[in-house]
Amino acid sequence: MKRILLLRGAELIVFALLATIPLLVVNPYALGLLTLLAIYGILLIGLDVTVGYLGQVNLAHVAFLGLGAYTAGLVVTKLGLGMAPALLAAMAVGLLLGGLLALPALRLEGPQFALATLSFAALSTTALNELEALTGGAQGLSLSRPPVFGHALTPPLFYWLCMALLAVVWMLMRNLLASQWGRAFEALRDSPIATDAMGVGTYRHKVAAFALGSGLGGLAGGLYAFNFQYLQPQSFVYDLMIILLLGVVLGGRKSLWGAFVGASVIVLLPNLLSNRLLFQVFSGLGFAMALAAGLRGLVKKTTRPFQALAPVVAMGLLVVGGFFVENTEDWRKAIFALMLFSVVVGLPEGLMGFLAIFLAKLFRVPHAPLPEPSDIEAILPPRAVDGAPLLVLEDLKRHFGGVKAVDGLSMTIKSGSIHGLIGPNGSGKSTVVNVISGLYPPSAGRVLLRGTPLPSGSLFRVSRSGVARTFQNLQLFGELTALENVMVALRGVYRSPLPLVLLGLARSEERQAQADALCLLGRVGLKDQALTRARDLTYGAQRFLEVARALARKPDLLILDEPAAGLAHPDVVQLIEIIKRVHKRGISILLIEHHMDVVSELCDVVTVLDGGKVIAEGPPDEVKRHPKVVEAYLGQPPQTDTPGEPSPQPA
Amino acid sequence: MNPSIIGQMAVSGALMGLVYALIAYGFQLTYATSKSINFGQGELVMVSAFFSLTLTNLGLPYWAMIPGGLLFGAMMGLVVERAGVRLALEQKGEGWILLTIIIGLFFFSAAENLWGRDDRPFPTPISADPIHVVGVDITRLELSVAVGVLAIMGAIELFKRRTLLGKAFEAVSADRDAAELMGISATRTVMLSYGLSGAVAALAGILVSPITTVGPTMASALILKAFSVAVVAGLDSGFGVVLVGMFLGALESLASFYLGSGWREAPGLVLLILALAVRPTGVFGKATIRKV
Repeated sequence: MKRILLLRGAELIVFALLATIPLLVVNPYALGLLTLLAIYGILLIGLDVTVGYLGQVNLAHVAFLGLGAYTAGLVVTKLGLGMAPALLAAMAVGLLLGGLLALPALRLEGPQFALATLSFAALSTTALNELEALTGGAQGLSLSRPPVFGHALTPPLFYWLCMALLAVVWMLMRNLLASQWGRAFEALRDSPIATDAMGVGTYRHKVAAFALGSGLGGLAGGLYAFNFQYLQPQSFVYDLMIILLLGVVLGGRKSLWGAFVGASVIVLLPNLLSNRLLFQVFSGLGFAMALAAGLRGLVKKTTRPFQALAPVVAMGLLVVGGFFVENTEDWRKAIFALMLFSVVVGLPEGLMGFLAIFLAKLFRVPHAPLPEPSDIEAILPPRAVDGAPLLVLEDLKRHFGGVKAVDGLSMTIKSGSIHGLIGPNGSGKSTVVNVISGLYPPSAGRVLLRGTPLPSGSLFRVSRSGVARTFQNLQLFGELTALENVMVALRGVYRSPLPLVLLGLARSEERQAQADALCLLGRVGLKDQALTRARDLTYGAQRFLEVARALARKPDLLILDEPAAGLAHPDVVQLIEIIKRVHKRGISILLIEHHMDVVSELCDVVTVLDGGKVIAEGPPDEVKRHPKVVEAYLGQPPQTDTPGEPSPQPA
Repeated sequence: MNPSIIGQMAVSGALMGLVYALIAYGFQLTYATSKSINFGQGELVMVSAFFSLTLTNLGLPYWAMIPGGLLFGAMMGLVVERAGVRLALEQKGEGWILLTIIIGLFFFSAAENLWGRDDRPFPTPISADPIHVVGVDITRLELSVAVGVLAIMGAIELFKRRTLLGKAFEAVSADRDAAELMGISATRTVMLSYGLSGAVAALAGILVSPITTVGPTMASALILKAFSVAVVAGLDSGFGVVLVGMFLGALESLASFYLGSGWREAPGLVLLILALAVRPTGVFGKATIRKV
């Protein structure tokens, strides 16, 4: 309760203060700055969706600002419509073009994504410049603020409009980002493969995130047009993009307050640069901060020397430069560069990330209490086990060029069984898993689940068909907590349509998801670490979390890809317990494993692969003595009749 | 339309395209070793060109200025690696994209203030008189660009194949971890690649400046095209950049003729987005298999 009061209270106070300012102060310059603050606030909240939540360097946001501004301008000047349609059109253009751009950018990560957005931005500048008949080209486009309900929009009224829109955007985005949508965006950033494999869908979420962020960019553009009432293509170029990135990174990613702080910095920057005294004070402050943080990091050994020293050097350059340079305005880009550099290197969480930790300690804000875990009977009701064929592989082949990784594999997994799949390294086990789970389409053959073919080559659609998997090389969502890792994968809980989520009317299903996820965490013994970030868990705990996350899919078939790899003995014992518990719920399991003791203890049937083909199948004890199996593992035919124990190799 | 004019534009454009290819080749060098590229490479080209201009103005003859310019470019490349790339790579993050953009911005601002915002001519002893080759005019200057580009790319490729250091370079490109286990320092190899990439950028600046003049804005004009070339060709395809560079250069020159000079960058950008959408590994790049 205290937490909610503090957070909401702070928001209310700030917005109330901002709303009353025009009544008290009549300085038009200050009012102009505050209006800009609101506009940039909306713009940065939009940019934060891609830069913060999706974790991609988005260089197209400035283009959406420009396109939105021109759309609004043209709707007013050429179509003669009012302000509301103009703003709606500006937002729609952002949404639409953002979604369109996201389509080719979908499969792209990192540098390629940055390049795609950079090209889009350059293209849009070209278009604004060259389509002179429409935009007026380099001449610019003048417009006037149309009256609303017959009232001319005076500066204070326009300011209130911008602030009101910021408040609305703020509330809607807060609701959205705290929901499954926000989690999905972050999951995408940490592991696109696992996002698909957990049935969340990279496709729709990436498009949605990008379209949404761009839509906000367009809306901000519309307001921008009515604020300045004069547009030029040169206003929306790379330079401004850098400043916007500075705002998001400096304010703090993944934070509405961060966007707000960032917007304030952007608005104040020109004043900072034009007043030498102010500049010297601020660069001095920055230098002192970098020095203090750097020294602290060095002494506590929490940061590397470079991370501690580089911001000090950069801020030092700023201070020294401030004394020597005649006109700071000329060096503004270098000043932005030095500031941005210091923040990216030395303060990656941004000002708000830093402040949030500090404030949380100061006010001792507790985490919102978690609900009681749901009953396992409700989440994973015991399934009837009939021993009928559940998953059937028919002459499955997967070739990579000339390599026949899987070469004509047929096997049947019976409902309710624990089916082992073993074989020496390179025998094709992982490829089988990857083909079944949809990462690779098969080169030939079929995969049938209860008699119907599984979708081929789509992790997402296989996951939705009732097959869940874990990963040999962990694919957790590192920045999310253990609880959120499970929540993001939960099947059948999130039913509310987007509008309800935006309005914050989907909280009950959020509680439900928390309760369900807690129950599943309890199943793997991680209930007490629910709020720990996945990447901070121990290695064993991370393996168990993968199992819990896969269970959240409520699968018919659970594929465990070497779950014991690298585990210490006590963890292996616990893993066996966990798998037995899962099996008791009637979930069939395909277990790929190297530890023979795990396989022997758990499996009903074991299939042995070598060279992409089945060389033996049967109960574990029988298979272990099979001469071909012994040969595959030891590399020579048995010399005597005494059966040799196959020696498992570490993964 | 007169076919000889089209031919003329295509050939001149293609020769200019070789400069884009050279800058794109610089991306490939660093991408091979570290899977990162310098988003501020255009600024590197520009400051190196300005530095070379200053050397010339100090009275250094053209041929003595070139090594100086290359050395400066290599040093700036190392600065980018140390300040912008290494930390992010150690953290396995993508902070390097933002950091290299930032360092480029710093170079840009420094150049604006140290050398001024105006475009300046770049003197060269190579004559700009045209030679007639099958109905098309080619200047010696344009030819020198082609020769310079192909010479340095050939030299670096030879270096990679024939010398021990070059083989270390190839080893780190193929498998960083395995190379480290064999006693090759990946960090030093990445430094080497950034140094080479910087030198290549400097040469691009020296070659192109006599034709286009030197100015701060040359950075953004060149970088977008170099990006297009690198992405369309594929970031790991050695000489694919040469073909794509010439193709894009010709296309751009024709586009500016038919659509107006404001549109000259459009075809490259559209191709870039299309290539990323259809074939993110590039026309000549190798498709990779996703592994988990």
